[in-house]
Amino acid sequence: MNRFASPPWVAPIVGALLLGAALDARAQSPPAESTRAALIAARQADKAKSVQPYAPNKAELWVKQLEEQFMGGGLRWHLFFESAYAGGGFTLGGGYRTFVGSFSTIDLRGSWTFTNYKRIEAEYRAPRLFNRRGVFSVIGGWREATQVGFYGIGTGNTSKDDRANYSFQQPYLSVALDVRPTRRFFLLGGGLEFTEWNQRPGQGSFPSVEEVYTPETLPGLNASPTYVHTQGTVALDWRDSAGYTRRGGYYGVTAHDFADSDDTYSFRQVDYEAIQHLPLFRDAWVLSLRGRVQTTYADDDEVIPFFMLPSLGGGSSLRGFTSWRFRDRHSLLLSAEWRVLANSFLDTALFYDAGKVTSSRSDLDLNGLKSNYGIGVRLHGPAATPLRVELAKSNEGLAIVFSAKAAF
Amino acid sequence: MRSRRSPSGRASRRALAATLGAVGVFAIALVALRSAEPKFFPDDPIAREPDTQDASGAVPWDIDLFYDLSYNLFVTPRRAPASVRAQNVNTIDEVPDSSWFTNRIGTRDLTVEEAVRGPIVGPAPVPSTWTITREKSAGAAPGFTARDANGETWFVSFDAPSNPEGATGAVVVSTKIFWALGYNQVEYFITEMHPDRISIADTATTKRPSGKRSRLDRDDLNAILERAARSADGSYRAAAGRLLPGKVLGGFKYQGTRPDDPNDIVPHEHRRELRALRVFGAWANLTDMKAGNTLDTIVTENGRGTVRHYLQDVGSTFGVGAEGPHDWNEGWEYLFDGRSTVRKLLSFGFAFSPWQTADYDNYPAVGRFEGDAFDPQSWKPRVPTAAYFAMRDDDAFWAARRVMAFSDTLIRAIVKTGAYADPRAEQYLGDVLIKRRDRIGRTYLTKINPVVDPVLAASGLLAFGNAAVQHGFATAPRRYTAVWSSFDNATGESSRIAETASQEERVQAPSGLPAAVGSFVRVDLSAEHPEHPAWARPVQVYFRRQASGWSLVGLERQP
Repeated sequence: MNRFASPPWVAPIVGALLLGAALDARAQSPPAESTRAALIAARQADKAKSVQPYAPNKAELWVKQLEEQFMGGGLRWHLFFESAYAGGGFTLGGGYRTFVGSFSTIDLRGSWTFTNYKRIEAEYRAPRLFNRRGVFSVIGGWREATQVGFYGIGTGNTSKDDRANYSFQQPYLSVALDVRPTRRFFLLGGGLEFTEWNQRPGQGSFPSVEEVYTPETLPGLNASPTYVHTQGTVALDWRDSAGYTRRGGYYGVTAHDFADSDDTYSFRQVDYEAIQHLPLFRDAWVLSLRGRVQTTYADDDEVIPFFMLPSLGGGSSLRGFTSWRFRDRHSLLLSAEWRVLANSFLDTALFYDAGKVTSSRSDLDLNGLKSNYGIGVRLHGPAATPLRVELAKSNEGLAIVFSAKAAF
Repeated sequence: MRSRRSPSGRASRRALAATLGAVGVFAIALVALRSAEPKFFPDDPIAREPDTQDASGAVPWDIDLFYDLSYNLFVTPRRAPASVRAQNVNTIDEVPDSSWFTNRIGTRDLTVEEAVRGPIVGPAPVPSTWTITREKSAGAAPGFTARDANGETWFVSFDAPSNPEGATGAVVVSTKIFWALGYNQVEYFITEMHPDRISIADTATTKRPSGKRSRLDRDDLNAILERAARSADGSYRAAAGRLLPGKVLGGFKYQGTRPDDPNDIVPHEHRRELRALRVFGAWANLTDMKAGNTLDTIVTENGRGTVRHYLQDVGSTFGVGAEGPHDWNEGWEYLFDGRSTVRKLLSFGFAFSPWQTADYDNYPAVGRFEGDAFDPQSWKPRVPTAAYFAMRDDDAFWAARRVMAFSDTLIRAIVKTGAYADPRAEQYLGDVLIKRRDRIGRTYLTKINPVVDPVLAASGLLAFGNAAVQHGFATAPRRYTAVWSSFDNATGESSRIAETASQEERVQAPSGLPAAVGSFVRVDLSAEHPEHPAWARPVQVYFRRQASGWSLVGLERQP
């Protein structure tokens, strides 16, 4: 049987039924709009059925929360990368900061390095005194450095191969007040510190200092002086920020008095420092220059312990040399950086450092300087340099610097 | 078994074919009925984009500016623009009035008086006393919210000490420019504040670093004023922006739509007036083109809540901001530009960028703003937007015509409202705006087919203009060619009639144009110019036959 057989009148009927269905479908479907305005209105009416408040996505919520933590005073736990003492190596640390007023904070923090340098301290900081003219802080803490390098006293007569180590433990309590009477440019600073340097044998792979030196050959060996350290600073400072700037300068003098409780190791020190940042060719580059002289004074019956002598070497002075590489009564440091501003967050720099330590103030000249050169990259914000990575080359080899501070 | 060729079998097959045919007709009819949308509606081209739904349910939102900045800096540039035609243009390629935009210059004659008045409808602040009521809620620039002696609320901002008159002049002048261009603007006035006549409302608070709010005190006020340029008599020149009417909803994004506004149906990146900010921003150097500088408010119109969209802060224009001069690379590079970063790193800064060699006259009130090295196509805001990337050449052409509609006289009159003390600064700012205007015109009016303003007379004479030739940026083309077609508005199909040509900006239609009222004709107008091969891409123009003659109903400019 032919399954498709059907009378000839079927097709017209089916057609009529379908046409009717089509017309019915049109009657039931949304009417085609007759004007542009009606078409827009229909689309708006359609959207009106599903309006809803804006819902930020997960990334936006996360960023917002982070911002509120950072900017809203809600961020209490923080990272802390400051080592107990220079030369401690890679540092891990953290802190807990809480506001004790609209502006004032208390920060409990600690850090540890793989060489077992330890630091724990508490700081009270009042950053807005005298109608924004003064910053006051109190810091109390304890630290230990286990293997601080000592290479002998002097510049040319020491060798990196002569390294010996010492360690110390140190409780400290200090107060500091910085005042800018005009809020800008002119800086007056003062501080008072009570501290005890408990010198101990060095750890690590190098010999301890007492194995190499005697109290006669190394002033202050085995000494554990207790100092009342007072200091005062007068400076002109018109940098945008000490943490990061492209222009401005700092010209300051800081005088220190280290008064030993039994007067044996008392001495005075004066630091002269000049920093100038010169933007070049519309901030394409910045030429940054720094000069620093540290000079100590001691009476004939006073001894400056070797570990308190001015020193050079490390990521913030002679960057191609290890920390504390050169020590003596006086020091001279000259640094120049040619910074290339790659974008608003990234600088790179070529730098050159030169310096020396001397036993006599009259030897603070440009003869016999130790020098290094290098290249670095810095991630920065408008006022801070959270990461500085540098590779420096000196006649003693290559050194890599990781720091969370500007070089100067 | 029946033969396959039996009469009854043939009849069955015919019946089957007829049935299938009927089903096919049904299907086609159904599709046609459902998608029956003509190309042109009777009310085209519309002059206003209606807001038909009540948007009073829209709620304030807080666009996270850091997220918005990061997204637009690192994600948006990596999304290839889709070359989508602007979706809010009407059928003649113009932007209808809307809650975003009002046609002013370039659409009608704008008098100098109108342009100088700009968005101002109310009286200026009375500065004899000020009462601070709120801290500034957004941005790092010094400022606050305050009531004047009449008790009216104003947003007050200042100049940077390094650039007196710079930021305040820029916001007042730019507000008028962007108002004339068609954007909703805040009423801004130059005013003054004397510290001795400023008081602080008991209710004024400020957020402290601790996150808590406490009363705004005199020292907080001093901290703000210390960052502002002080006049010799101890007073402060300020820009005062009037509180906008309606409920504040927060800024708008340059992409997507507001999910809580039923009338907001065109993705913002496809709104021509937002795309055009790439051109207008380049002209005025509006480098801070972020959501935070926009504002939506909800107002009641015709008994319905309507969201009105503002470019709230156009003060980051010219060469100075509220915190000092623009960065040297502002207007030339994004805040982060990977390619530029790599180039600078590899060359150690010796691969110079144009901003390093451009000449700027030293007027602190104007800042780093110049017109000789300016290239409209390479201009960049600090942070790009999706609308910035979505701009096509037809959008830029539309925008450039608006910029070119500003006469020298109009520009200088608007600049004068900046109340610059140094007439040389005023002259320089006007000079630079004129130079940059002309650069924009020369760049974008010549880049694509510049045929404009077509009119088809009842006699069949098609007259039109050439925007590039009108402004002297190009010589007349060798010839214009018009391909004439009848156009079926229902099906969208064109049927070629003939091609005519002319060396002048008028072309005679061939015989055989449809004559019935309601019929359509399409003309593809192209130009032959040896220096501008892009002009060969035709502009498609559509006319509708009416009793009185032909009326322009469509224009499509191909990018």
